[in-house]
Amino acid sequence: MIQLLDVRKVFNAGRPNQFVAVDGITLSIEPCRITALKGPSGSGKTTLLSMIGCMARPTSGRITVMNREVTSLPERFLTEVRRKTFGFVFQQFNLIKGITVLENVMLPAYPSGERHATLRRRASALLDLFDLSQKASARVEWLSGGEAQRTAIARALINDPSVIIADEPTGNLDSKLSQEFMEILRRLRENDKTVLVSSHDPIVFNSSVVERVICLRDGRIDGNGGC
Amino acid sequence: MVFHPAILALHTSSILVTFMILYSTRHGIQILRSWDLKSGSEVQLNLERKTYLISSLLAYAFAFQLGSLFLFVYAADHLHTLFVGAMCAAGSLYVNSYGYPTLVLKVASFLLGGLWLIFNYVDNRAYDYPLIKKKYFLLLVISPFIVVEAVLQGNYFFLLRPDVITSCCGSLFSVSGASVASEVASLPSLPVKIVFYSWTALTLAAGFWFYLRNRGGYLFAGLSGLQFLVAVVSILSFVSLYFYELPTHHCPFCILQREYGYVGYPLYIALLGSTITGMGVGLLMPFRKTDTLREVIPVIQRRLTLVSVSLILVFTAIVTYRVIFSNLILEAP
Repeated sequence: MIQLLDVRKVFNAGRPNQFVAVDGITLSIEPCRITALKGPSGSGKTTLLSMIGCMARPTSGRITVMNREVTSLPERFLTEVRRKTFGFVFQQFNLIKGITVLENVMLPAYPSGERHATLRRRASALLDLFDLSQKASARVEWLSGGEAQRTAIARALINDPSVIIADEPTGNLDSKLSQEFMEILRRLRENDKTVLVSSHDPIVFNSSVVERVICLRDGRIDGNGGC
Repeated sequence: MVFHPAILALHTSSILVTFMILYSTRHGIQILRSWDLKSGSEVQLNLERKTYLISSLLAYAFAFQLGSLFLFVYAADHLHTLFVGAMCAAGSLYVNSYGYPTLVLKVASFLLGGLWLIFNYVDNRAYDYPLIKKKYFLLLVISPFIVVEAVLQGNYFFLLRPDVITSCCGSLFSVSGASVASEVASLPSLPVKIVFYSWTALTLAAGFWFYLRNRGGYLFAGLSGLQFLVAVVSILSFVSLYFYELPTHHCPFCILQREYGYVGYPLYIALLGSTITGMGVGLLMPFRKTDTLREVIPVIQRRLTLVSVSLILVFTAIVTYRVIFSNLILEAP
């Protein structure tokens, strides 16, 4: 369970260019479900996901993840929460060029100190799961869009997180690949993962696998159903 | 004189440390007034973010502060050639009325700063800031020492007058004087030796007991604190005599000089280090049952005990070596 209590995020506070990205959001996100954040550009989706994923801190308000209050945690504790609880899939995938697909997938688990052979086995199993075994030793810049996206998802799963956060994951994909992505989300859901996905792509929020859609506008939850 | 590199370093570090401490104290007052972990207010979240920076700042400030004690003694010792009558730091510190008070405050802030660093280390091991208010209250206690010490140190160095004829350590720590130091120096060596070795044995026994059984933390901390006083009295009363191989020379500073292999530095570092770590064990005792520290504190206390006991053994070994192998015989067999 993820809970947000009156969360605000203000950029450049007190300056002429002050911008309120998230404005007093109170929200509960149920575990083991797929929740989509829907809204136009600048509605606060990415900022909200960043705060839930402990990559940014709110200006005020509290966020609780699995009964643990995370907004007050010092950075060294946040690192561990981020690593163990969340897996991130970004719009641009953010794969590291110059290294192989397998190394990209293994990378987030390096700080855990796990034995290299065990980690390699786990990463290979994930690549197998996403039908990428043939590409394990290929460099990521040689991958197609769909392969890159599946690599990014495999990487997000390497630390076996309970929550997957995907920010505009279909933004760079065509309709067929977007449908494939939704199918992957369904499989994750069946494996008891909580999925939080932000998007303004109808393929995402109209998909039958998405169980809840939260509409955002101007940093607030739009309760009028107008989004 | 004030352009001596050690003095410039002391002034600079003193100004920086005082500034950092005052800045942190201001933040500490804000924490003592407004800290409420249950609140998600902007003020609270700002305090949480800032305290991370402040505790890092203070950790460096106190680390500098620990080093400055030895730099101060080194500078005072180095300056003794400039004053008629001075033979070591004892004479240099006596040139004006600010020298010894500065030294006493430096020792006090060394001990308190060390304890604060232990407190801070433990607080940072938990995710919910369990010692934060206590930590900043302790800072409020320490900060006046640091500020006054900086002022006294400034006065001491700026008011050094080369035409002043000062006293040498031989007269300052002579058995015939009327000062507290002379009173201590004149104590008979054999009873002090007995007290020193008995107290050391008791402290070590309490340390080992705590390390093995996890009991008697307060006792060990108390004995460690008093061990510092017993050791200082012992240095003045008999330890110094064995180093100098002179039955009348009780100076605690000459052992910091090259002629004695700078043995005073390891001796005093071991003594101060054992005192801080030993007292640190007691400082943490009341918080052993705090939820988020329940598993952290016993481990840290065991480490502190081990360090303290080891340093006491180092101190005692250095002293005992000199007592056995010195050419001076104080008590007839």
